[in-house]
Amino acid sequence: MAAYFDDEDLAHFGELEKHHPELWSLWIKYYGKAFEEGLLTKREKILIGFAVALCEKCPYCIHSYTTQAQSIGLTMEHLAEAGHATASLRAGITMAHALVAHNIDKKTGM
Amino acid sequence: MTMTLPTLASRRLPLAMASEQRATLRRLPLAREFDQRLADAGLAPMRPTRIEVMQVNVGKVCNQTCRHCHVDAGPDRREVMSRETMQLCLDALAKSDIGTVDVTGGAPEMNPHFRWFVREVRALGRHVMNRCNLTILETPSHRDLPAFFAEHSVEVVCSLPHYLGARTDRQRGDGVYETSIRALKRLNALGYGSGVAGRRLVLVANPVGAFTISDQGVMEAEFRKALGERHGVVFDQLFCLTNMPISRYLEWLVESKNLARYMETLANAFNPAAAAGAMCRNTVSVGWDGALYDCDFNQMLDMPVAQGAPRHVRDFDLAALSARAIETDRHCFGCTAGEGSSCGGATA
Repeated sequence: MAAYFDDEDLAHFGELEKHHPELWSLWIKYYGKAFEEGLLTKREKILIGFAVALCEKCPYCIHSYTTQAQSIGLTMEHLAEAGHATASLRAGITMAHALVAHNIDKKTGM
Repeated sequence: MTMTLPTLASRRLPLAMASEQRATLRRLPLAREFDQRLADAGLAPMRPTRIEVMQVNVGKVCNQTCRHCHVDAGPDRREVMSRETMQLCLDALAKSDIGTVDVTGGAPEMNPHFRWFVREVRALGRHVMNRCNLTILETPSHRDLPAFFAEHSVEVVCSLPHYLGARTDRQRGDGVYETSIRALKRLNALGYGSGVAGRRLVLVANPVGAFTISDQGVMEAEFRKALGERHGVVFDQLFCLTNMPISRYLEWLVESKNLARYMETLANAFNPAAAAGAMCRNTVSVGWDGALYDCDFNQMLDMPVAQGAPRHVRDFDLAALSARAIETDRHCFGCTAGEGSSCGGATA
């Protein structure tokens, strides 16, 4: 059975362009510009990319941002910290959503 | 516990032979050969720009056996440059305007004639860079070397793969990081690393794994912050080197099944600007026996300078060497990927 996520896929990412070159080009420009160094450093943007990749559970992006992190000298120790920060925020978000239940109970409970 | 393996030579492995290393690289599928890439960039054949550096490999003996070593250096190696060959290097220097002598090894300090050679090069008024593994400075017979370096204004170029200890030890052996930090602090105490003339201290970082460094500037800032905050260590500059897929690093790439992808990464990242600034264009490399090479990597792969150019330092002729074509093969992708890599760090 074919695998849906294959680490060879990333090299062919650009082939998606052919289905809508105009929108692809706009997105590529936006993506490239957004990740340029600005008020935030290259290091900070790579770590944002890594955290989003974990949240979205995208194996391609996790691969890509791990490689980018390695290329600026970041290690698994750095990425583990980023992973825990991401995971703890996700846990917090889950708990925050319990407020909806809390509020409903306050309104409807006796 | 971090274990480093003995040298390939002592294990009598096929990869100890330069021919087998080159054959291993040649068996890989690559879209374009290095020479084709050079031709596309209008750089074929590669020729020197101006020879400004004589890199002298004074021997393969080392107190360490690092996992990535392109020399296959170690305590069991016996290749050591003699004083007579060093004298030939001095004679060659005297009749040229080469301004810098880059002393490398092994651990160059373990050559019994090392200090004599440094003094003589300095007496000729040439700048000396010494490639130091740092731990050698903490051995009893070499503890006074920092003072010797300072006395002779030797630039010290030190290996430190990473500012985190576990990373460094994984590549260079257990305890290497801690010992290296002690040595750096002693160099700092003599003024090395604080921007003072004659006390230049350069750190050399290289990836601990099968990847490349994309931004020397970012790495330098990371190193400066981490070493300063954790240890109070300062340095003048950081060079980032790409690990060359030869010798013991090649062995690791093969064993870890990373070789094909690593070579593909290097080849795909070919950068004409990095190639134009490659160190083989301003350097001539001298082997422990006086043989001449385009670079230290070609030296380890038994690829002497091109036929027709002087092939031994006794026959040194700057004009003839300046006109030679530089010998290349697939390992050269290691110097031309991304920002480029050389003994002086990034080249693009």
